[in-house]
Amino acid sequence: MVDAKNLSMKYDKGKSLALENVSFSIDRGEFAFFVGSSGAGKSSLMKLIIREEKPHSGTLRVFGRDVSRLPKHRLPYLRRNIGMVFQDFRLMEERTVYDNVAFAMTVIGSSRREIRRRVPHVLGLVGLKDKARAKITDLSGGEQQRVGLARAIANRPAMIIADEPTGNLDPGTALDIMNLLRSINLRGTTVLVATHNREIVDRFKKRVLYLENGRLVGDEQKGIYSHVH
Amino acid sequence: MSRKGFIRMFINGLIYILGETFKGLYRNRWMCITSTGVVVVTLLMLGLFMLVNFNVTHITETVKDQVEIIVYIDENADRETREELRQKLAEHREVATINYVSSEEHMNRLKRQLGGMLEGYDTSLENPLLATYEITTVEPEAVVSLSDEFRDYPGVSDVFYGQGYVENLFTVTRVVQIIGLALMAGLSITAVFLISHTIKLTVMMRKREITIMKYVGATNWFIRWPFILEGLLMGFVGALVPLAIIYYIYEMAISWVVANELMFLSLLPSQWVITELAKYLVPLGTALGILGSSFSMGRFLRV
Repeated sequence: MVDAKNLSMKYDKGKSLALENVSFSIDRGEFAFFVGSSGAGKSSLMKLIIREEKPHSGTLRVFGRDVSRLPKHRLPYLRRNIGMVFQDFRLMEERTVYDNVAFAMTVIGSSRREIRRRVPHVLGLVGLKDKARAKITDLSGGEQQRVGLARAIANRPAMIIADEPTGNLDPGTALDIMNLLRSINLRGTTVLVATHNREIVDRFKKRVLYLENGRLVGDEQKGIYSHVH
Repeated sequence: MSRKGFIRMFINGLIYILGETFKGLYRNRWMCITSTGVVVVTLLMLGLFMLVNFNVTHITETVKDQVEIIVYIDENADRETREELRQKLAEHREVATINYVSSEEHMNRLKRQLGGMLEGYDTSLENPLLATYEITTVEPEAVVSLSDEFRDYPGVSDVFYGQGYVENLFTVTRVVQIIGLALMAGLSITAVFLISHTIKLTVMMRKREITIMKYVGATNWFIRWPFILEGLLMGFVGALVPLAIIYYIYEMAISWVVANELMFLSLLPSQWVITELAKYLVPLGTALGILGSSFSMGRFLRV
């Protein structure tokens, strides 16, 4: 599903190295953590997968296609197959919970009937069915991240990419969100989580890829943060 | 994708874009009102200036049209010479109209102008006034060179065209026109700058929305259309409002001129003025609205 070979990436016109010679492969239906301290290259890797950035060298295949060679007009179609979850939620605060989720479906051209059917369903999956009409600003941080998750799965993506999804949440709420991601994964969706939350990684015992200064220094099935480190 | 699927997606897209346009305008109403306000004020300034410029040009053109050459016919010229002179003048391609005024007619005019002052003057005595041809030219600016030309014609005693005054009039009108054009160009550039920047600000306020759209897989055109339509509406309304204001102000100005019997101020008809202004302001406002919003979106779409 994601196949990286000798990936290198530079910022500031090649002055600072974000990733160096990174190679890994993620299979369909897998759950993997990308761990490492701030600046290790986790977010850069996520950006490469959704083609927000291009690698400096190496190849990255997502859903079998070399994303760095993907023409610009095909990008939206790649992203429709990837649900994104962000640390800062990135919701439209002046809109309701329902509208935020419906928005993701509307922009890809789903019919109104489909939206009316699907949005309550995904809100039910994340436990927010009763808050459909609530404004984002009236929700807690955990609830806002649930809206982010609902939005990410609304279009039935093949893969979810979560960049520090628990970074702004208290430990209990963070665990709830991770449990939701696990249940999404159990339904067959590939889940990639970039995090430096040691407790969460150790608790879930999933595949762990450890990044340090832009290099992949460890890759362990059912790993724990400290083992890999 | 099947044809039916494509049509369904197209209709859904269209409903979405129109819906988003009006929702966007409502959601960001204060910003949109501000942007439209800037368009209104800028185009109102430009429109008012154009209105003044149109009328100044019109008045000066009217004055210029009244400039004529008076060719004094030599009193010793015989009938044949006079006829040849008339023919030569009438056939000249720079001459628009030619009007013969006999010496008797000149005397009558003088009497009318001076009123009772000529009372007692024996008009049966020899009339000292010369018969003339009053000539208007195709191009008012040609009077100077034509006068010089006509002076050499046989049967011409003298030529008069308001020497000194005419040259000054032409200089003044030329200066007025140049200043007018320069100010209009300056104001247009200011309008372009102000409007596109204000709309850019409106788009920047919605940066987050655009970025989210990109992440969930919206195509650039799908994102652009509502913004472009919003820009178009803001620009269009922003151009209509100044037109209405200018129409109202201009009607008041015309009424004032009529009420004060200032008929020498030959103002252009309001219908014509508004139509001319609409030809400039509506496309300018609309185009600026569209360009302002689509250009300012560019960098947010690169996510």
